[in-house]
Amino acid sequence: MGKRVISGAALAVTALLVAGCSAGEGVDLDSSGADGEVLVAAIGGEPDQLDPQKTTSYFAFEVLENVFDTLVEPDENLEMQPALAESWEVSDDQLEWTFTLRDGVTFHDGSEFTSADVVYSYDRIIDEELSNAWKFASVTDVTAPDDQTVVITVAQPTPNLLSNLGGFKGMAIVQEDNVASGDITTAPVGTGPFSVEEYVSGDHITLTANPDYWGGAPELGGVEYRFISEPATALAALRGGEIQWTDVVPPQQVGELETDEALELGVTPSSDYWYLALNQAREPWSDVRVRQAIAYAIDRDAIVQAVSYGTAELNQLAIPEQSVWHTPYDTYSTDMDAAQQLMAEAGFTGGTLDLLATSDYPETVTAAQIIAANLEPLGIEVSIRQPDFSTWLDEQNSGNFDMLMMGWLGNIDPDDFYYSQHHSTGASNAQKYANPEVDQLLDAGRVETDTEARKDLYAQAATIIADEASYIYLYNPSVIQTWSPSVTGYEARADRAIRFRDAALGD
Amino acid sequence: MRMQPARVLRFLGVRFVSSAVVLLGVLVVVFAIVQLVPGDPVRLALGTRYTPEAYEALRAASGLDRPLPEQFVGYVGGALTGDLGVSFRNGEPVTTTLLSRLPPTISLALAGLAIALVIAVPAGIWSALREGRVSDAIVRTASQFGVSVPDFWLGMLLISLFSVTLGVLPASGYTAITENPAEWARRVALPALTVGLVAGAIMTRYIRAAVLDVASAGFVRTAVSKGLPRRVVTFRHIVRNALVPVLTIAGIQLATILGGVIVVEVVFAWPGLGRLVYDAVAARDYPLIQGAVLLIAVMFLLVNLLVDVLYAVIDPRIRVS
Repeated sequence: MGKRVISGAALAVTALLVAGCSAGEGVDLDSSGADGEVLVAAIGGEPDQLDPQKTTSYFAFEVLENVFDTLVEPDENLEMQPALAESWEVSDDQLEWTFTLRDGVTFHDGSEFTSADVVYSYDRIIDEELSNAWKFASVTDVTAPDDQTVVITVAQPTPNLLSNLGGFKGMAIVQEDNVASGDITTAPVGTGPFSVEEYVSGDHITLTANPDYWGGAPELGGVEYRFISEPATALAALRGGEIQWTDVVPPQQVGELETDEALELGVTPSSDYWYLALNQAREPWSDVRVRQAIAYAIDRDAIVQAVSYGTAELNQLAIPEQSVWHTPYDTYSTDMDAAQQLMAEAGFTGGTLDLLATSDYPETVTAAQIIAANLEPLGIEVSIRQPDFSTWLDEQNSGNFDMLMMGWLGNIDPDDFYYSQHHSTGASNAQKYANPEVDQLLDAGRVETDTEARKDLYAQAATIIADEASYIYLYNPSVIQTWSPSVTGYEARADRAIRFRDAALGD
Repeated sequence: MRMQPARVLRFLGVRFVSSAVVLLGVLVVVFAIVQLVPGDPVRLALGTRYTPEAYEALRAASGLDRPLPEQFVGYVGGALTGDLGVSFRNGEPVTTTLLSRLPPTISLALAGLAIALVIAVPAGIWSALREGRVSDAIVRTASQFGVSVPDFWLGMLLISLFSVTLGVLPASGYTAITENPAEWARRVALPALTVGLVAGAIMTRYIRAAVLDVASAGFVRTAVSKGLPRRVVTFRHIVRNALVPVLTIAGIQLATILGGVIVVEVVFAWPGLGRLVYDAVAARDYPLIQGAVLLIAVMFLLVNLLVDVLYAVIDPRIRVS
C-alpha cells in the first residue's frame, strides 16, 4: 500500500506535467523559412568556441564542418578535391601554386567571397601564429593578383600543400568583419552549406540551410546540434525519435547496435593511430633487437579487444588500409619464441620498464596493463605510471620514460604520419630514433611531386621504421556513429568529418 | 506567544554574520582550488600546442603571475562586485555563463522539490500515524530504497521506461519555462522525477520522525484527553506542528538539489549549473569551476538563511545559540 502511495503520487505529478501537451512527436522542428526538415544531432559536448581557426575542440569541428569551406577538401578517400578553389596549377619549378576561385560564392551575410578573403584568412593563421601555422611552414607568400586568383609561393616543392590547405576546417576561409567584431566565436559567418542561426550556451546550436551554397542548396532545412555527454541518454533519445544522429556511442554497445534493425550504424577505421615508443636514449632500448623482442611479445588482439571491444582495426603501421598511402606490413604477430631469441641475442636477461600512460586517455592505462602481463615472461617487470596529460607531456619531452603509449589524430598526408615522429630532427621524435636512410627518404618524400614515386618513398621509410621498432604500432581506432534509418545520404568518414550537406530526412 | 521583534532581529543578525563568515571560508577554498591543482592550470587549459607568448598572455590575463595575497584580494574584490574573471576556454565572463545556467537549474530544482513534497508529505504522515504496522514498514522500506538508489541508475531506468518503451517523454533537451511552459513541463518531467523521487524518499523519513515526535508531545495528549475527535487532533495539532521541521528539511533539500544535480543534469543533458560544473571540470576551466562552486555555495547559504528566517517567524520556541 505504501509503495502505491509513492508511485501513485509520482505518476499523478507526471500526469500533471504531461497534461496539456500535444501528443505525438516531442521534437520541436523549427524550420525557419527553410523547406526541408531539421535534423537533430547529438554530439558529446559543447564546443569551446566557433572560430574555426582557433578552436581545437572536435565538438566545434563537428558543427563547423557544415558552416565553413576550405580552398580544397578531402573526398571519402581523403584525396583533395575542389571546394572554394575550382582549379589550380603548379609552376614548372613547383614553387608557385595558382588557385582559381569559384565565381559567385557569397558568405552567409550576403557579402561576396573573393581572393582577399583567402589572403586574409591565411595571413591571420600565419601572423597570429595560430595552432595550424605549421601547415604553412614552406609558404613564403600568399597574394591575390585579382579577385578570382590566389597565388601561394613556397620555398621548396610542397606536394602536400593541398592536404595542408584542405585537411580540416581549421584552415577555413573566414570573413574579416566577422573576426574584427569578435562575433566569430559565437556567431561565425562562413560560405558553407549551412549558416549558424542560434547558439544557446549549454544546450544547442542550430544551423539553417544556405540556399545560395555553391554546391547546391542542402536537402535538409537545417541541423540542430544538442550536447549529450551520456551515451545511454543519446541512444535513448535516438530510439525515442528526439534525435536522428549521434556519435555518442559506447564501443561496448556496437555489437548490440549492429543487430538493431531500428538504427543505422556506421563503423569505419579512422586515420588516427595508437602506438608504443621505447626510449632509445636509454639502455637496453637502444638495441633494436630488444625493441623487436617487445614488438613480438605484445598481444595486439587482446589490446584491441580491451580498449575498443574489437571495434578498432589492428595495424602494424600508421596509415589505415582505406588510405591511398597505406603500406601493407605484418611482421610482428605474437611470437614468444622469437621474442626470447632476440632477447638472448641482445644479451638482455630482463629488468624493469617504466611505462608512461596517462589517466586522460584511459585506453593507454588499459593497454598498459595488458602489456605488463605480456612482458612478464621475458623477465621484464613493467611499472605503470598514469599522470595527467600535461605532466605526461613534460615527462615525454624530458625523455623521462622507458616506454610510452599515445595516439596521433587527424593526419592525412604521409608526411604528417612519419616526418616529425621519426626524422632525426623531427619535433615529436621523443623516442630519439635516428636513421640516416629514413631521414633521406622522409626528406625526399617532402619534395617529391610524382605521386607514385612519393608513395614508394614512404612505403620504404615506413617499413624501415616498423622493422626497427621506432614506434611499435598497435591499431587505428574506428569512427563509430549511429543514426535513424530516416536519414539518407550520410556516411561516416575516416577523417571524422560530419558532413550533412548531402543528407536528407525522410519518414 | 510569539518572539519579540528585537530577539528575532538579533537572531537574524547572528545568522547573517555566521553566513558571511562561512562565505569567506568558501572564498578561501575556491581560491585555493587553482593553487592546489597538480600541474600548471594555464598549461592544462592550453593543451598540447601553444606558443610561449600564448602561455604568458593567459597567465597574465588570469592574474596567476601576481603574488598570492594580491591574487586573493583581487579575487575576493572581484567576486563581491560580480566579476569572477573570464573562462579559460572561450574568454566569456564567468558571471555571464553562470547567469545563463541559473534558470534551468532553479526550475529543475523547484519542480523536483514539488514532486518530493507531493510524495513525502502524505507518505510520511501516513506512515507515522500507522507506526509499527505493515503499511509503515512498506513506506519505510520504499524510502530506504529511494535513499540508497543511485540517481544515475534511476534516471536511466526512467529514460528506458518513459522515453524508449512508452515513448511519452523526451530523454533530453530543455525549453525555457518562459518560452513554452507546456514544453518545459514535458522536458523537465523525467529529470525532476529523478530528483524528486530521491529527495522525496529522504524527506519521507524526516516527516515521519517529525510527526511521531509531535504526536508524543504533551499538548497532543491534552487534546486527546479533552475528547477532541481523532481527525481534529491529527490534522490541527500533530500535522500543523510537524510542518515546522518539514520546512527546514525542505529548505535543506532544496539547497542540496540546487548544488547536487550534476549527475541528473548530465544524464538528461539539462543545461544547468551541474552540467556546467561537469563540463568545466572536464575542460579544466578553472575560473568557471571556481565561479560555479562559489555560486552553488552562495545559493546554499541563501536558502538556509531564508529557512531560518521563516523558522524564526513561525516557531516561537526558537533559541539563539
